[in-house]
Amino acid sequence: MKDAGVTSYRDLKNMIEKNREVIYSNDMEEQQETATTALHSSVDNITIHNPIVNLSITEDESKPSTSKQQIVHENIFDQLKGNNKHIFVLSTAGKPIYTRFGNENQMASLFGLMIALVSVTQDSNDTLQSICCGHTRIVFLNKDPIILVGVSQSAEPYDRIKKQLTYVYNNIISILTLTQLKKIFHNRNNFDLRRLMSGSERLIDKLISFTENDPGFYLDSISCLQMPSSNRDKITQTILTECSKIKNLVFGLLIAQKHIISIIRMKKYSLEVSDIHLILNLINSTESFKTAESWTPICLPAFDSSGFMHAHISYLAEDCQACLVLLTIDRDLFFLLSDAKRKITEKMRRNDCLQAINEAIVRQPLNLARANIVGLRHLLYKNKNRSQHWSPPFTSPYNTDTLQQNLMSVYCSLISQMNFPGRTLKVIYQQLTAETMLAWATDDVELYMCFEPLVSKECATNAITKLTQWMKKEEDSLFIFNIPMF
Amino acid sequence: MATRKKVLLKVIILGDSSVGKTSLMNQYINKKFTNQYKATIGADFLTKEVMVDDRIVTLQIWDTAGQERFQSLGVAFYRGADCCVLVFDVASPGSFKSLDGWRDEFLIQASPSNPDHFPFVVLGNKADLENRTVSTKRAQQWCQNKNGLPYFETSAKEATNVDQAFITIARNALAQDTDVELYNDFPEQIKLSGSTENRSSGSDNCAC
Repeated sequence: MKDAGVTSYRDLKNMIEKNREVIYSNDMEEQQETATTALHSSVDNITIHNPIVNLSITEDESKPSTSKQQIVHENIFDQLKGNNKHIFVLSTAGKPIYTRFGNENQMASLFGLMIALVSVTQDSNDTLQSICCGHTRIVFLNKDPIILVGVSQSAEPYDRIKKQLTYVYNNIISILTLTQLKKIFHNRNNFDLRRLMSGSERLIDKLISFTENDPGFYLDSISCLQMPSSNRDKITQTILTECSKIKNLVFGLLIAQKHIISIIRMKKYSLEVSDIHLILNLINSTESFKTAESWTPICLPAFDSSGFMHAHISYLAEDCQACLVLLTIDRDLFFLLSDAKRKITEKMRRNDCLQAINEAIVRQPLNLARANIVGLRHLLYKNKNRSQHWSPPFTSPYNTDTLQQNLMSVYCSLISQMNFPGRTLKVIYQQLTAETMLAWATDDVELYMCFEPLVSKECATNAITKLTQWMKKEEDSLFIFNIPMF
Repeated sequence: MATRKKVLLKVIILGDSSVGKTSLMNQYINKKFTNQYKATIGADFLTKEVMVDDRIVTLQIWDTAGQERFQSLGVAFYRGADCCVLVFDVASPGSFKSLDGWRDEFLIQASPSNPDHFPFVVLGNKADLENRTVSTKRAQQWCQNKNGLPYFETSAKEATNVDQAFITIARNALAQDTDVELYNDFPEQIKLSGSTENRSSGSDNCAC
């Protein structure tokens, strides 16, 4: 017997009272301004409308049973404070499902407190969306029968935390399907979902890191493996020829680490970026795919959250580390797809595609210096029609992880500002202490450029023209323009 | 069996105000007792790990407010409980009479799938007091009428029967926790009945 923890309703009250801002479910933009008053009136209703309660609190401040529970409680919170970003998942019964850090059993009281907050708000016919205390922001995403909570201590915007929570939710759906998730809790609302999730926590951990580091998450886009378009076409054609006749095959993807080499799809069906991100995360977090061809059910929430797709996953060959993913709705298709994959590899070997892929994987990525634009250090370029982005490798002065992460968060806030719901911006010019930033958007392109600190507005705007001209020449190898249907 | 590793049980404590719900918790978890009375506002949450037979079980204990004016936590609060502990004060006939109400309230709010066999445990607290007015027999009778609920006479002050009561609570909740095969059937095959191309709510998120 060990661990005990207590989280009292009084803590809750204190916490809420300290808030500067709580967002309830109305229109986003308005909320942020009106939130404070809305909160205080509701909080009064919840806890302290009766003056006697106040009295009983102040009169009786004898510490609630000091000892063990308090100490353990504080230890847990000290642990939590040490990390910047937390994600918790719990059932609507208040049972823990996932925590990014620490042991969810020891935090059982904390999960109870989260439900209390959600439940109290629900009782007044409202939905709790977020709580702000200083730089700490707590975001709630209620996806009955589960609730996701994100805590960020670095003043991240609400939208981004909510999107991260949605990704985690989608990952859970991809493991269970929405139909099953609902059915499980419909039959037993006290179900401990960890039973079905054990082994999958790793995938969620990795996915959260992805949402913190990858520009594809911020830009809603994928990154492609750079290669001459003639080579890419030949590869795509080889896959297409073998797959187009297979009934119930819906999508095929060829992946090299974080990059897409090629995609094919069934007529009328398209693959959403968020689903591709889940597939990429699965592949890149699972070493065992490298050693054996695998057949795994995966639900793609944006495509159809009600059922499983079945994925045939295999690396092309010992000497070619590109991963082929064939997705079908038919669970009995393994041997047919296995056969197709074998033929694809053989054919690719004969027509030098394997070699082309290997060369593309080891090739030095396109360097920004080739564009020859004075003062330009780094950029993110998104082809909006294709939902694909390109970004050059970091160069000096972005030599350390911290510096790179800092730049990513600068990009991230620019991207949020450019894409704020209900408002479109065309240009942002921003002079910061360490760099000058320029964001620029048209119907087809979103461009985020990072310059040296003293670059003038004029100089930066001129760079746009030069860069877009250069990109026109290079884009054939940087993006996938040919996604054939069958 | 992997599912044996982690078990977490949600235990709700109900009963009139000042019957000693919080004191029982305090005795159980901190081995402490105080005569001071302090109303619980809303709820307290406590966690304790216990060994039940050969399993490590985490009890997530939801100690609620007995006073009506502090009960404002909403329906969602009771949902998905694994066990409900009904507490009364053996020196307070009123708190004993209230048990029916607490039980009904719980069943309505939590709406467990099998209400007739939901694991309640009844605790007659303050058994150390000399002026008791609810006899053991009367309490046992009540429990008998409710499908034979387990009954313990406890004293949070003298730590009588507290550990035993909670072990029973954990064990009875666990017994309900049979592995219903509700997740073994595969969902039906996806039907390719339409197109997803126009479904993406006007966004540009299709990688094609």
